[in-house]
Amino acid sequence: MKKKKVLLMLAAYNEEENIERVCEEIITYNQKNNTSYDFLVINDGSTDKTGQILDEKGYNHVDLIHNLGIGGAIQTGYKYAKEKNYDIAVQYDGDGQHDIHYVQKIIDPIIHNDADFVIGSRFVENISKFKTSRKRRIGIKIISIFIKMACGFKGYDTTSGFRACNKEIIKDFARDYPIEYPEPITIVEVAKRKYRIKEVGVNMRERIGGKSSIHSWKEAYYMLNVCLSILIAGIRRYK
Amino acid sequence: MPKNLTLIVILFSLFLFILVLYLLRKGRIPVKYALIWLFFVVVIALVSIIPNLMENLANFLGFELLSNMILTLFIAILLLLTLIQTVMIAGQKKKTILLIQELSLLKKEMEEKK
Repeated sequence: MKKKKVLLMLAAYNEEENIERVCEEIITYNQKNNTSYDFLVINDGSTDKTGQILDEKGYNHVDLIHNLGIGGAIQTGYKYAKEKNYDIAVQYDGDGQHDIHYVQKIIDPIIHNDADFVIGSRFVENISKFKTSRKRRIGIKIISIFIKMACGFKGYDTTSGFRACNKEIIKDFARDYPIEYPEPITIVEVAKRKYRIKEVGVNMRERIGGKSSIHSWKEAYYMLNVCLSILIAGIRRYK
Repeated sequence: MPKNLTLIVILFSLFLFILVLYLLRKGRIPVKYALIWLFFVVVIALVSIIPNLMENLANFLGFELLSNMILTLFIAILLLLTLIQTVMIAGQKKKTILLIQELSLLKKEMEEKK
Protein backbone atom coordinates (compact mmCIF):
# COMPACT_ATOMS: atom_id res chain seq x y z
CA MET A 1 0.00 0.00 0.00
CA LYS A 2 1.28 3.40 -0.95
CA LYS A 3 2.17 5.52 2.01
CA LYS A 4 -0.38 8.25 2.63
CA LYS A 5 0.74 11.85 2.75
CA VAL A 6 -0.31 13.30 6.09
CA LEU A 7 -0.48 16.97 7.01
CA LEU A 8 -0.94 18.29 10.52
CA MET A 9 -2.52 21.73 10.51
CA LEU A 10 -1.88 23.94 13.50
CA ALA A 11 -3.73 27.21 13.80
CA ALA A 12 -1.81 29.56 16.07
CA TYR A 13 -2.90 32.91 17.38
CA ASN A 14 -0.46 34.48 19.83
CA GLU A 15 1.13 31.19 20.82
CA GLU A 16 4.71 32.39 21.35
CA GLU A 17 4.94 30.38 24.57
CA ASN A 18 3.75 27.08 23.08
CA ILE A 19 4.44 26.97 19.39
CA GLU A 20 8.10 25.99 19.50
CA ARG A 21 7.51 23.17 21.99
CA VAL A 22 4.57 21.84 19.98
CA CYS A 23 6.50 21.87 16.68
CA GLU A 24 9.59 20.28 18.21
CA GLU A 25 7.37 17.56 19.64
CA ILE A 26 6.15 16.70 16.15
CA ILE A 27 9.68 16.66 14.72
CA THR A 28 11.00 14.48 17.56
CA TYR A 29 8.07 12.12 17.19
CA ASN A 30 8.75 11.76 13.47
CA GLN A 31 12.40 10.91 14.12
CA LYS A 32 11.65 8.38 16.85
CA ASN A 33 8.80 6.59 15.12
CA ASN A 34 9.99 6.77 11.56
CA THR A 35 6.82 8.61 10.56
CA SER A 36 6.71 11.50 8.14
CA TYR A 37 3.95 13.79 9.27
CA ASP A 38 4.32 17.13 7.57
CA PHE A 39 2.96 20.06 9.45
CA LEU A 40 1.80 23.53 8.59
CA VAL A 41 1.44 26.26 11.17
CA ILE A 42 -1.16 28.82 10.24
CA ASN A 43 -0.17 31.99 12.01
CA ASP A 44 -3.51 33.73 12.32
CA GLY A 45 -2.24 37.30 12.35
CA SER A 46 -0.54 36.95 15.73
CA THR A 47 0.54 40.19 17.36
CA ASP A 48 3.20 38.58 19.56
CA LYS A 49 6.45 36.84 18.56
CA THR A 50 4.76 33.76 17.05
CA GLY A 51 5.61 34.83 13.49
CA GLN A 52 9.18 35.66 14.42
CA ILE A 53 9.70 32.27 16.08
CA LEU A 54 8.27 30.47 13.04
CA ASP A 55 10.62 32.37 10.73
CA GLU A 56 13.70 31.81 12.87
CA LYS A 57 13.09 28.11 13.36
CA GLY A 58 12.14 27.63 9.74
CA TYR A 59 8.98 25.66 10.51
CA ASN A 60 6.66 25.25 7.58
CA HIS A 61 4.12 28.00 8.10
CA VAL A 62 1.88 30.53 6.46
CA ASP A 63 1.36 34.00 7.90
CA LEU A 64 -2.17 35.23 7.40
CA ILE A 65 -1.97 38.91 6.61
CA HIS A 66 -4.93 39.55 8.90
CA ASN A 67 -6.55 37.70 11.77
CA LEU A 68 -9.34 35.45 10.49
CA GLY A 69 -10.38 33.44 13.54
CA ILE A 70 -10.16 29.67 13.85
CA GLY A 71 -12.51 28.83 10.96
CA GLY A 72 -10.83 30.97 8.33
CA ALA A 73 -7.37 30.01 9.57
CA ILE A 74 -7.95 26.26 9.45
CA GLN A 75 -9.56 26.54 6.04
CA THR A 76 -6.27 28.00 4.81
CA GLY A 77 -4.70 24.73 5.95
CA TYR A 78 -7.24 22.71 3.97
CA LYS A 79 -6.56 24.83 0.90
CA TYR A 80 -2.86 24.15 1.31
CA ALA A 81 -3.52 20.43 1.82
CA LYS A 82 -5.59 20.32 -1.34
CA GLU A 83 -3.02 22.21 -3.37
CA LYS A 84 -0.16 20.00 -2.16
CA ASN A 85 -2.19 16.87 -2.76
CA TYR A 86 -2.25 15.50 0.79
CA ASP A 87 -4.21 12.31 1.45
CA ILE A 88 -5.05 13.05 5.07
CA ALA A 89 -5.32 16.36 6.90
CA VAL A 90 -5.26 16.47 10.69
CA GLN A 91 -6.39 19.41 12.74
CA TYR A 92 -4.04 19.77 15.65
CA ASP A 93 -3.96 22.49 18.28
CA GLY A 94 -1.07 24.89 18.41
CA ASP A 95 -1.38 25.33 22.15
CA GLY A 96 -0.20 21.89 23.24
CA GLN A 97 -3.61 20.50 24.16
CA HIS A 98 -3.34 17.58 21.78
CA ASP A 99 -1.07 14.60 22.15
CA ILE A 100 1.07 13.74 19.14
CA HIS A 101 1.07 10.04 20.09
CA TYR A 102 -2.59 9.80 19.12
CA VAL A 103 -2.25 11.12 15.59
CA GLN A 104 -1.64 7.60 14.33
CA LYS A 105 -4.80 6.41 16.06
CA ILE A 106 -6.81 9.19 14.48
CA ILE A 107 -5.59 8.58 10.95
CA ASP A 108 -5.69 4.78 11.12
CA PRO A 109 -9.42 4.46 10.31
CA ILE A 110 -8.86 6.62 7.22
CA ILE A 111 -5.81 4.63 6.11
CA HIS A 112 -7.79 1.39 6.46
CA ASN A 113 -10.77 3.00 4.78
CA ASP A 114 -13.07 2.47 7.76
CA ALA A 115 -14.01 6.12 7.98
CA ASP A 116 -13.74 9.40 6.08
CA PHE A 117 -13.77 11.68 9.08
CA VAL A 118 -12.33 10.87 12.49
CA ILE A 119 -12.85 12.84 15.68
CA GLY A 120 -10.40 12.55 18.55
CA SER A 121 -12.50 12.27 21.67
CA ARG A 122 -11.97 12.69 25.39
CA PHE A 123 -15.21 10.95 26.20
CA VAL A 124 -14.83 7.53 24.58
CA GLU A 125 -12.59 4.63 25.61
CA ASN A 126 -11.71 6.53 28.79
CA ILE A 127 -8.17 7.41 27.76
CA SER A 128 -8.03 11.08 28.60
CA LYS A 129 -7.65 11.90 32.26
CA PHE A 130 -8.47 15.50 31.57
CA LYS A 131 -12.16 15.84 30.79
CA THR A 132 -12.66 19.59 31.22
CA SER A 133 -14.99 21.29 33.66
CA ARG A 134 -18.47 20.04 34.48
CA LYS A 135 -20.08 23.09 32.97
CA ARG A 136 -18.30 22.53 29.69
CA ARG A 137 -19.20 18.87 29.65
CA ILE A 138 -22.86 19.79 29.98
CA GLY A 139 -22.47 22.32 27.18
CA ILE A 140 -20.85 19.72 24.93
CA LYS A 141 -23.62 17.24 25.81
CA ILE A 142 -26.27 19.77 24.70
CA ILE A 143 -24.36 20.45 21.48
CA SER A 144 -24.16 16.70 20.83
CA ILE A 145 -27.93 16.37 21.27
CA PHE A 146 -28.50 19.14 18.76
CA ILE A 147 -26.10 17.50 16.30
CA LYS A 148 -28.01 14.25 16.67
CA MET A 149 -31.21 16.13 15.86
CA ALA A 150 -29.71 17.94 12.90
CA CYS A 151 -28.04 15.05 11.11
CA GLY A 152 -28.53 11.85 13.07
CA PHE A 153 -24.88 11.40 14.02
CA LYS A 154 -24.40 10.45 17.65
CA GLY A 155 -21.15 11.94 18.90
CA TYR A 156 -19.70 12.64 22.30
CA ASP A 157 -16.78 15.06 22.04
CA THR A 158 -18.41 17.16 19.35
CA THR A 159 -16.38 20.30 19.98
CA SER A 160 -13.05 18.49 19.81
CA GLY A 161 -10.56 20.24 17.55
CA PHE A 162 -8.46 17.08 17.14
CA ARG A 163 -9.70 15.48 13.94
CA ALA A 164 -8.60 13.96 10.68
CA CYS A 165 -10.23 13.77 7.29
CA ASN A 166 -9.59 12.17 3.92
CA LYS A 167 -8.93 13.70 0.53
CA GLU A 168 -12.55 14.11 -0.47
CA ILE A 169 -13.38 16.08 2.68
CA ILE A 170 -10.20 18.16 2.28
CA LYS A 171 -11.61 19.26 -1.07
CA ASP A 172 -15.00 20.06 0.45
CA PHE A 173 -13.47 22.06 3.28
CA ALA A 174 -11.11 23.93 0.95
CA ARG A 175 -14.15 25.09 -0.98
CA ASP A 176 -16.47 25.81 1.90
CA TYR A 177 -15.75 25.88 5.61
CA PRO A 178 -17.93 27.31 8.37
CA ILE A 179 -16.58 30.51 9.86
CA GLU A 180 -18.56 30.36 13.09
CA TYR A 181 -18.35 27.37 15.45
CA PRO A 182 -16.58 25.18 12.88
CA GLU A 183 -16.13 22.11 15.11
CA PRO A 184 -19.78 21.16 15.62
CA ILE A 185 -20.96 22.57 12.30
CA THR A 186 -18.48 20.58 10.22
CA ILE A 187 -19.73 17.36 11.86
CA VAL A 188 -23.24 18.14 10.63
CA GLU A 189 -21.99 19.03 7.15
CA VAL A 190 -19.86 15.94 6.84
CA ALA A 191 -22.70 13.71 8.09
CA LYS A 192 -25.17 15.30 5.68
CA ARG A 193 -22.79 14.65 2.82
CA LYS A 194 -22.99 10.97 3.76
CA TYR A 195 -19.39 10.53 4.81
CA ARG A 196 -18.51 7.95 7.43
CA ILE A 197 -17.63 9.51 10.78
CA LYS A 198 -15.81 7.75 13.57
CA GLU A 199 -14.97 8.90 17.06
CA VAL A 200 -11.83 7.49 18.67
CA GLY A 201 -10.48 7.96 22.16
CA VAL A 202 -7.45 10.21 22.55
CA ASN A 203 -5.56 11.85 25.34
CA MET A 204 -5.90 15.58 25.80
CA ARG A 205 -3.93 17.77 28.13
CA GLU A 206 -5.18 20.68 30.05
CA ARG A 207 -4.29 23.88 28.28
CA ILE A 208 -1.33 25.43 30.02
CA GLY A 209 -2.16 28.93 31.11
CA GLY A 210 -5.63 28.58 29.67
CA LYS A 211 -8.01 31.05 31.15
CA SER A 212 -11.76 31.13 31.05
CA SER A 213 -13.13 34.50 31.88
CA ILE A 214 -16.41 34.14 30.06
CA HIS A 215 -19.43 35.26 32.05
CA SER A 216 -22.43 33.02 32.33
CA TRP A 217 -24.75 35.18 30.23
CA LYS A 218 -22.15 35.14 27.51
CA GLU A 219 -21.99 31.37 27.76
CA ALA A 220 -25.75 31.14 27.46
CA TYR A 221 -25.65 33.38 24.42
CA TYR A 222 -22.84 31.26 22.96
CA MET A 223 -24.85 28.09 23.49
CA LEU A 224 -27.90 29.64 21.86
CA ASN A 225 -25.82 30.64 18.86
CA VAL A 226 -24.13 27.26 18.51
CA CYS A 227 -27.37 25.31 18.81
CA LEU A 228 -29.14 27.54 16.29
CA SER A 229 -26.19 27.28 13.90
CA ILE A 230 -26.31 23.49 14.18
CA LEU A 231 -30.02 23.43 13.39
CA ILE A 232 -29.49 25.77 10.43
CA ALA A 233 -26.64 23.58 9.20
CA GLY A 234 -29.08 20.69 9.48
CA ILE A 235 -31.63 22.28 7.16
CA ARG A 236 -29.10 23.72 4.71
CA ARG A 237 -28.71 22.01 1.41
CA TYR A 238 -25.39 20.50 0.45
CA LYS A 239 -24.17 19.60 -2.98
CA MET B 1 -52.96 64.99 5.14
CA PRO B 2 -52.39 68.12 7.22
CA LYS B 3 -50.55 70.85 5.32
CA ASN B 4 -47.69 71.03 7.79
CA LEU B 5 -47.07 67.29 7.72
CA THR B 6 -47.11 67.31 3.91
CA LEU B 7 -44.57 70.10 3.94
CA ILE B 8 -42.30 68.25 6.39
CA VAL B 9 -42.43 65.06 4.36
CA ILE B 10 -41.71 66.89 1.11
CA LEU B 11 -38.83 68.84 2.65
CA PHE B 12 -37.42 65.67 4.13
CA SER B 13 -37.59 63.76 0.87
CA LEU B 14 -36.05 66.71 -0.93
CA PHE B 15 -33.21 66.73 1.57
CA LEU B 16 -32.69 62.99 1.15
CA PHE B 17 -32.84 63.37 -2.62
CA ILE B 18 -30.15 66.06 -2.62
CA LEU B 19 -28.02 64.04 -0.20
CA VAL B 20 -28.14 60.98 -2.42
CA LEU B 21 -27.33 63.07 -5.51
CA TYR B 22 -24.42 64.66 -3.64
CA LEU B 23 -23.07 61.25 -2.65
CA LEU B 24 -23.48 60.06 -6.23
CA ARG B 25 -21.55 63.03 -7.61
CA LYS B 26 -18.76 62.42 -5.12
CA GLY B 27 -18.69 58.79 -6.17
CA ARG B 28 -19.40 57.60 -2.63
CA ILE B 29 -22.30 55.30 -3.53
CA PRO B 30 -22.74 53.30 -6.70
CA VAL B 31 -25.78 54.05 -8.86
CA LYS B 32 -27.12 50.56 -8.19
CA TYR B 33 -27.72 51.32 -4.51
CA ALA B 34 -28.54 54.99 -4.98
CA LEU B 35 -31.46 53.95 -7.15
CA ILE B 36 -33.08 52.08 -4.27
CA TRP B 37 -32.93 55.22 -2.16
CA LEU B 38 -34.05 57.56 -4.92
CA PHE B 39 -36.96 55.25 -5.62
CA PHE B 40 -38.14 55.43 -2.00
CA VAL B 41 -37.68 59.20 -1.89
CA VAL B 42 -39.79 59.69 -5.00
CA VAL B 43 -42.50 57.35 -3.74
CA ILE B 44 -42.66 59.16 -0.41
CA ALA B 45 -42.85 62.56 -2.05
CA LEU B 46 -45.51 61.55 -4.59
CA VAL B 47 -47.68 59.85 -2.03
CA SER B 48 -47.64 62.85 0.26
CA ILE B 49 -48.54 65.26 -2.55
CA ILE B 50 -51.64 63.42 -3.77
CA PRO B 51 -54.50 64.76 -1.58
CA ASN B 52 -56.49 62.40 0.64
CA LEU B 53 -54.59 59.36 -0.58
CA MET B 54 -52.78 58.81 2.69
CA GLU B 55 -55.85 59.41 4.87
CA ASN B 56 -57.90 56.93 2.88
CA LEU B 57 -55.15 54.40 2.91
CA ALA B 58 -54.65 54.76 6.66
CA ASN B 59 -58.39 54.37 7.19
CA PHE B 60 -58.51 51.36 4.95
CA LEU B 61 -55.60 49.63 6.71
CA GLY B 62 -57.02 50.41 10.14
CA PHE B 63 -54.47 52.92 11.41
CA GLU B 64 -56.06 55.35 13.82
CA LEU B 65 -53.47 58.01 13.17
CA LEU B 66 -51.96 58.92 9.85
CA SER B 67 -48.58 59.47 11.49
CA ASN B 68 -48.64 55.89 12.79
CA MET B 69 -48.98 54.56 9.29
CA ILE B 70 -46.14 56.72 8.01
CA LEU B 71 -43.90 55.59 10.86
CA THR B 72 -44.77 51.96 10.30
CA LEU B 73 -44.10 52.34 6.60
CA PHE B 74 -40.70 53.89 7.25
CA ILE B 75 -39.72 51.22 9.74
CA ALA B 76 -40.71 48.52 7.29
CA ILE B 77 -38.63 50.11 4.54
CA LEU B 78 -35.64 50.49 6.86
CA LEU B 79 -35.89 46.89 8.06
CA LEU B 80 -35.89 45.68 4.50
CA LEU B 81 -32.89 47.81 3.60
CA THR B 82 -31.03 46.59 6.71
CA LEU B 83 -31.72 42.99 5.76
CA ILE B 84 -30.38 43.62 2.27
CA GLN B 85 -27.30 45.19 3.79
CA THR B 86 -26.77 42.26 6.16
CA VAL B 87 -26.73 39.96 3.15
CA MET B 88 -24.27 42.25 1.39
CA ILE B 89 -21.98 42.46 4.42
CA ALA B 90 -21.94 38.67 4.77
CA GLY B 91 -21.01 38.38 1.10
CA GLN B 92 -18.19 40.88 1.52
CA LYS B 93 -16.88 39.07 4.58
CA LYS B 94 -16.67 35.86 2.58
CA LYS B 95 -14.73 37.62 -0.15
CA THR B 96 -12.37 39.25 2.36
CA ILE B 97 -11.62 35.89 3.97
CA LEU B 98 -10.98 34.36 0.56
CA LEU B 99 -8.61 37.19 -0.34
CA ILE B 100 -6.67 36.96 2.93
CA GLN B 101 -6.29 33.20 2.56
CA GLU B 102 -5.23 33.19 -1.06
CA LEU B 103 -2.90 36.17 -0.68
CA SER B 104 -1.25 34.65 2.40
CA LEU B 105 -0.72 31.33 0.63
CA LEU B 106 0.67 33.15 -2.39
CA LYS B 107 3.07 35.11 -0.20
CA LYS B 108 4.26 31.88 1.35
CA GLU B 109 4.93 30.41 -2.07
CA MET B 110 6.78 33.54 -3.18
CA GLU B 111 9.01 33.50 -0.13
CA GLU B 112 9.85 29.85 -0.65
CA LYS B 113 10.99 30.57 -4.20
CA LYS B 114 13.35 33.32 -3.10
